[in-house]
Amino acid sequence: MTLFDHWHPVALSRELRRRRPLKVTLAGADVVLFRDGPRLGALDNTCPHRGFPLHRGRVDAGQLVCPYHGWRWATDGRGQAPGTPTARPCARAWEAVERHGLLWIRRAGSDMPFPFVDISGHGRVTTLRRRVQAPLEVVLDNFTEVEHTPPVHAFLGYPLERMAEVECATTITDDAVTVFNRGPQRRLPAPIRGVFQIPREADFVDAWTTRFSPVHTIYDQYFLVRGSDERRGPALRIAVFYTPVGPALTDLIVLAYASSARWRRPLLEAIRFPMTRLLVRIEVGRDARLLDAMEAPPVVLKGRALGRFDKALTASRRHIARIYRGEGEATGG
Amino acid sequence: MSEKRVVVLGAGPSGLAVAACLRRRGLNPTILERSEAVGSTWRNHYRRLHLHTVKEHSALPGLGWPEQVPTYPARQDVVDYLEAYAAKFELLPRFGEEVTRVRREGDAWELTHTSGSTRADAVVVCTGYNRVPHEPTWPGEEGFTGAILHASKYLDGSPFRGKRALVVGAGNTGAEIALDLWEHGASSVELCIRGPVHVVPRDLLGLPAQITSLRIMQHLPPKLADKITLSLLRFVVGDLSRWGIRRPKLGPVSQVLREKQIPLIDVGTVALIRQGKIVVIPGIERFDAEGVHTVDGAAHPVDVVILATGYRAGIAAFLEGSEGLLDERGYPTVFGAEAAPGLFFVGFRNPLTGQIHDIAREAERVAAAIAGGGR
Repeated sequence: MTLFDHWHPVALSRELRRRRPLKVTLAGADVVLFRDGPRLGALDNTCPHRGFPLHRGRVDAGQLVCPYHGWRWATDGRGQAPGTPTARPCARAWEAVERHGLLWIRRAGSDMPFPFVDISGHGRVTTLRRRVQAPLEVVLDNFTEVEHTPPVHAFLGYPLERMAEVECATTITDDAVTVFNRGPQRRLPAPIRGVFQIPREADFVDAWTTRFSPVHTIYDQYFLVRGSDERRGPALRIAVFYTPVGPALTDLIVLAYASSARWRRPLLEAIRFPMTRLLVRIEVGRDARLLDAMEAPPVVLKGRALGRFDKALTASRRHIARIYRGEGEATGG
Repeated sequence: MSEKRVVVLGAGPSGLAVAACLRRRGLNPTILERSEAVGSTWRNHYRRLHLHTVKEHSALPGLGWPEQVPTYPARQDVVDYLEAYAAKFELLPRFGEEVTRVRREGDAWELTHTSGSTRADAVVVCTGYNRVPHEPTWPGEEGFTGAILHASKYLDGSPFRGKRALVVGAGNTGAEIALDLWEHGASSVELCIRGPVHVVPRDLLGLPAQITSLRIMQHLPPKLADKITLSLLRFVVGDLSRWGIRRPKLGPVSQVLREKQIPLIDVGTVALIRQGKIVVIPGIERFDAEGVHTVDGAAHPVDVVILATGYRAGIAAFLEGSEGLLDERGYPTVFGAEAAPGLFFVGFRNPLTGQIHDIAREAERVAAAIAGGGR
């Protein structure tokens, strides 16, 4: 097994036009995506004929046409050479699917499950992709601890002076790492509190589960009346996928949903949805800039000074090695 | 005068709702439940199931849904809600009591159940839409080397990773199980859809289909409602005949009213069908050792067949003299009113506006009829 066996989101649906192919890179492998009606094609980007990069071609009648000699490729990789009609060339195809507003690929013939994101009854707030200059592990580190939220983030999260009050419980299972954080929400401007119906004295819960096929974290974020279990305002459910592009380059692919339904309070939601979108974009942007600024980030955690918020990090490293990269597993079969 | 003796059969949404409504009217019904907990059907459904109707219009009388439950409550949310409901109205069903016979004796009903027998002035049958799995058979099935499994036994697709799977049935369950199998890495997924079917996305232009039908379609003449719905569907879903899904001649609203067939509420299966990930095949003619043969003569080798072929109410099995009260599939024909002296049915309808919504209204009416002594 290799990491190519997992379903990875590699681009947003809106990035792939009807007639223009799109080049994406998954862990160093260049893949060209194109559309044949509702079907999605994904081929190795190098033309099997003479090696021309196929993403420079065009899409015609659902086939990708290489601009060098006009050879044509269907979504399943079967090719036609106009000059030699009897030839049956074949390009290496990936399995590709379009779901949740994203384009996903995995190695053809793999039977890895598709990651489950329960968004039933949620409204989509935004989808976004942001490339960061850091290895996957380091990106995941940032997204699975809350200690960085006071200095780095602007809205969601806890005030630095009360960080010690934040409860942090880490649960590690065979295939997942779950973290539950609850603490006092930092002061928010009154208009934001109003729109999101957050009380002045609120607790913020930031709970998430990271799974490793592919590496992704699903967050549940919501507000409670301080010290009670009474929920206030809408809850956010955010899925973050970490797609490796190269050894020190990772795509953050974010799907953000809110539990509130647009149709129920159309006027309020007409303000709330765009505002939530903006908040999510600002916060992800801050994470990304911070990661870009880390020079030679340490991939190995051994020997580093770690705190109580970092438990998930070491567990995730083990899960990445075993589940995601398939290291240490018996070969054969 | 002594208090009316009322027995409610079943502790699912219908049984609990009727019992709560009766208690609010000062009666103290006995609830007989064959399983060991309330909402057993919901407990045993496949894992990813959600209510296809919105929580605002899916509450039982007297208890709203908690704030944090999403618009379409998940299976576990429904189970939790039913438990909270039973607790709130102090409903204490007698568990492990399977009713084997209900018959009229003089001016009362005589019920035979696991621990003995009970006499009642009124019986409310709330045994549910999904009491008995309906499992059709085909020639050659005994020689099939793969597995055949009814949807009631299906939890999730993980046992079928890498397997060639076939799902039979064009209902919501069949469509969602096909999606689940694909997500869990089945090597191929086929969905057998025999006849024409309307496909309606759960959310149409951001609005839940249930809301649309409750607030608009219900109040329009069926023909007009059909016209509007069909032109909307043409725009949103398009023509799926290329992928093997044909649209019935009768419009979706008329179909519910006349044929009691609800459309397929799509939660993502159709997108996978259009991308060729799930393949729709026509009706099955017979099985052989390798798989199935469809009516068009094609052979489809498969490892596992999931029967999402629905359920039957199975009322005739315990209710004596039920012949005139049930339709050809065994479902009651009288709702929300006395079907026979002292006999009521709740929760055997599946309208476009949502089953739980309907149960809530029926339960109130039935409780009023019982408590009011035929008012």
